[in-house]
Amino acid sequence: MTTHFVRQRLIDPRFAPAAAPIDWRRMLFPTPAIGVLSLLLLTLFAVSGWRFVQWAVVRAHWVGDSAEACPGDAGACWAFVTARWKPWLVGNYPPDQLWRVWICFAAFALFWIWVLRRSQTASLQRVLLGFVLLPVAFFVLLIGGGPLPVVAPTLWGGALLTLIVTLATFATALPIGLCLALGRRSRMPVVRWSCIVFVEGMRSVPLLTVLFIAATLVPLFLPRGFTMDLFSRAVVAFALFNAAMAAEVFRGGLQAIGRGQIEAATTVGLSDFATLRLIVLPQAITAVVPALVNIMIAVIKETTLLSVIGVNDLLSAVESGARSPAWIGEANILTSGYVFLAAVYLTVCYGLSRYSRRLEAQR
Amino acid sequence: MTSDITRDANAAIARMQSINKWYGTFHALRDIDLQIASGERVVICGPSGSGKSTLVRTVNLLEPFQQGRLHVCGVDVGADEITRAARRAVNRRVGMVFQQFNLFPHMTVLQNLIVGPIWGSGVPRNEVHELATHYLQRVGLTDQTHKYPAQLSGGQQQRVAIARALCTRPRLILFDEPTASLDPEMVNEVLQTMESLAAEGMTMMVVTHEMGFARRVADRVIFMDQGQIIETAPPDDFFDRSQSPRLRSFLGQVLSH
Repeated sequence: MTTHFVRQRLIDPRFAPAAAPIDWRRMLFPTPAIGVLSLLLLTLFAVSGWRFVQWAVVRAHWVGDSAEACPGDAGACWAFVTARWKPWLVGNYPPDQLWRVWICFAAFALFWIWVLRRSQTASLQRVLLGFVLLPVAFFVLLIGGGPLPVVAPTLWGGALLTLIVTLATFATALPIGLCLALGRRSRMPVVRWSCIVFVEGMRSVPLLTVLFIAATLVPLFLPRGFTMDLFSRAVVAFALFNAAMAAEVFRGGLQAIGRGQIEAATTVGLSDFATLRLIVLPQAITAVVPALVNIMIAVIKETTLLSVIGVNDLLSAVESGARSPAWIGEANILTSGYVFLAAVYLTVCYGLSRYSRRLEAQR
Repeated sequence: MTSDITRDANAAIARMQSINKWYGTFHALRDIDLQIASGERVVICGPSGSGKSTLVRTVNLLEPFQQGRLHVCGVDVGADEITRAARRAVNRRVGMVFQQFNLFPHMTVLQNLIVGPIWGSGVPRNEVHELATHYLQRVGLTDQTHKYPAQLSGGQQQRVAIARALCTRPRLILFDEPTASLDPEMVNEVLQTMESLAAEGMTMMVVTHEMGFARRVADRVIFMDQGQIIETAPPDDFFDRSQSPRLRSFLGQVLSH
């Protein structure tokens, strides 16, 4: 049966109906079983939340300059945090040279503001370049030399050291990782196989093992008269380990570039190198930036492992603070320090994670 | 073109001599002998898998071959002499337009056009900009200069791809099913661009199923099947007096709808 239909008047677009308000009762208690589960979980959250607030706020001790300020373990010992923030922030950096540290922190903060404001000038290439150049500049400024007195990395510590290790790792791991990823696709078998062996080897060994090897074994292999301080060895270990991680990320990005792109580049007369530089890499790197931010989050958290091999990172600074004569006392004091640390890492890493989400959404 | 001089072997812009190609054990091109004269428009058609795409991709060495000899725009390569240098030399003189456009998505239209001449052939920037502006006007996309490919329709993207190929000043342009992935309403704008190119005397090898285009534009139509050239004729003969039964049944399939 066919009928012939002809529309006489076209339909104008109308507004979509307003979204209905969220019905909490139906969301939390759709069936009795789920309702019970919801109630249980909510009670659990409420009780543990209340207990935590009791410990962290209500019964907390806020001021004081020794363990005597925090008797008992009913409340958090924030006095420990407020009294020791300086060594946690900068380690044993000489007080008269602290302006160098503040410059680094300020520059880093400005850099992030520039990145986050999404200005036209903050293209991905420039941001990545900044992540490679900034650590170098920081390192030179912090270690000094020339007119500035030299401050050995053994004196750096706390958040400063964590920041520098993270940035230095990033600045070296990214280029090395990119080279490894390209090497893995090389036509030369020796290059290809050495890259594969390195990447797969690093990925199959725990980071802590790599760190111990760097801390204890590497000095044995160095030529006589040539020494590397623990800090540098740790950074090298971090860089090589994370280069292997970055290599896999870059490899994924390179694989995502279709054959058509390379063919088109060939047919407009580009050489293999120009194709790589102008067509393949810009697309591949843009595609993997969110994954690179995830690597950065991992690096930040991994830096806490430095405390195990005796580098004075943020975690290590907190622990040694609790061992200092003034603060020997309840275990609660160190616990407060750990909770504070957790909050710091949570803020930084969650922030970065949000940033990575935003980058992903922009694509 | 009717003149015999342009068909003269010496004026050939591309010459394929007994070219054979295998994908693994699959014999994709079988004893291909073909000459393209300067200024000639050749349309290649045939069922899918017949080797027509492989044939045009062999002309600019995107696909290597295992036997035979290829002579394109003054570059002469045997099957065992296909090097990167040879491929680059050929690609500086031969342009290509792909079925999937293959524009560079991270570059604007203008950047797509100029990247090849600047970085591939070292043409000075101001000269390239003039070229690009000229060819964008030629394909009617002057107002899209600073847009990204994703902001354009399929037809516009393919016209940009044509302009990009033209910007390298090719002596021969290969078209590999340029309208096959376009919505029907966009096929015409691309075909018209190609027709006006043909009218200007550009040498073209076109793989397409657009039989109307073949009839209007081609000097010669080639029918391929199973990796071989089955029939070659001027369009009138090709469509109205086809000889081989294979071509007749193919045309019956293609032209019936």
